[in-house]
Amino acid sequence: MSYKKIVEMIPVEKREKLSDKLLNYLLKAKKENKMPSSLAKCFLSQWQTGGFGDVIGLAVLLEATVTVEPEKTIEFVETEMQLAEVAKALKEAA
Amino acid sequence: MVKFGIEFVPKEAYWKTVYYAIQAEKRGFDNLWITDHYNNRNVYVTLATTAMYTKKIVFGPGVTNPFLVNPIMTCQSLASLDELAPGRVALGMGAGDKTTLASTGIEAKKQLSAVVDAITIFKKMLEGKSVTYEGNVFKVEGTKFNFKPRGQIPVYIGAQGPKMLAVAGKIGDGVLINASHPKDIDYAVSQIKKGVSEAGKSMSDVDVTAYTSFSIHEKPEKALKAASPVVAFIVAGSPNVILERHGIEMEKANKIRSALGKGDFGGAFGSVTPKMMEAFCIAGTPDMCNEKISRLLKAGITQFVVGSPVGPNVRKSIDLISEEVIPQFK
Repeated sequence: MSYKKIVEMIPVEKREKLSDKLLNYLLKAKKENKMPSSLAKCFLSQWQTGGFGDVIGLAVLLEATVTVEPEKTIEFVETEMQLAEVAKALKEAA
Repeated sequence: MVKFGIEFVPKEAYWKTVYYAIQAEKRGFDNLWITDHYNNRNVYVTLATTAMYTKKIVFGPGVTNPFLVNPIMTCQSLASLDELAPGRVALGMGAGDKTTLASTGIEAKKQLSAVVDAITIFKKMLEGKSVTYEGNVFKVEGTKFNFKPRGQIPVYIGAQGPKMLAVAGKIGDGVLINASHPKDIDYAVSQIKKGVSEAGKSMSDVDVTAYTSFSIHEKPEKALKAASPVVAFIVAGSPNVILERHGIEMEKANKIRSALGKGDFGGAFGSVTPKMMEAFCIAGTPDMCNEKISRLLKAGITQFVVGSPVGPNVRKSIDLISEEVIPQFK
């Protein structure tokens, strides 16, 4: 499943909280070299032109965070956000 | 109107530093300064990437030095950046840190002359003509780029001592003063004025910049905790005359120096006193920071640089500055 499809499974009212948390994980990640160059460029372009509030932006952010911090991201989505189906889809995408 | 700048140390992957650079532009900062140390990511790679993802923020090395990077190469780098981001580039040049330079095998001799030579060569090379110049430290003979630089680039000089401050006033378009306290800014401005006067310039020709250690958070204790490691390093590296200016006991400063020398960071950071925090950083809630910024403005600064650590959470601190600080002064 694409990250865009996964984001569409997330209730709109929970997206802002998720986006905020994902940015914290990503910007504090120690294993930053896990970020592929192409994804890093996509992440920066998205931040410059649109941000991470809409479906496309959140999909880019989710992909970046799952790539760099998969365990933390999936655990947060599953336990804090109470989105078991989304967590399952992320495990498959990771 | 005062300008707001922000400093980043490119010690993390480029995409993190550039993320913050984009955020700073979006949140209303005017200037971006990237530090230049051999042990971090390369400043020009970081700046070139920043150029690609920003549209209006003015940026440059803050600061480079002529010992580690030859001034011709600095000029080439800035002129090339100016093609990527026309009119958005500035040079920050200082004398370099002797200890850091020594670890690379470079002996930083005649620092004042080296900076003067470097800036003279930099300005001449930007004219795109063949340059011959013999200074006390650097000389060039018939040096010329195979391309035409776009034009002049503002030069800011990193300065703390009286002679460098005066030189900065004389030949610089701006001065980057490593200071967070009005006493230090008052002193710096008095020295800058001497150079300005000698050159027949006006103070309005010089962008007097406070390059501060800054930390902001709604909870003051969190802001202070984030800033104390930076203050420990500032105390350890400060000349005694500056410590005396702020009434800091040598014994306490030496305790920090000794702890840092042994790698006892906990001991060093734990030895930072409230007086040291007051002297060497601006840390606290937005209201607390705004009060201190106001005092620096009264002392004569025209640019305020938010330097390391920015806050306990850099992203959230940039947002907080944008919402609670910048609007108070613009």
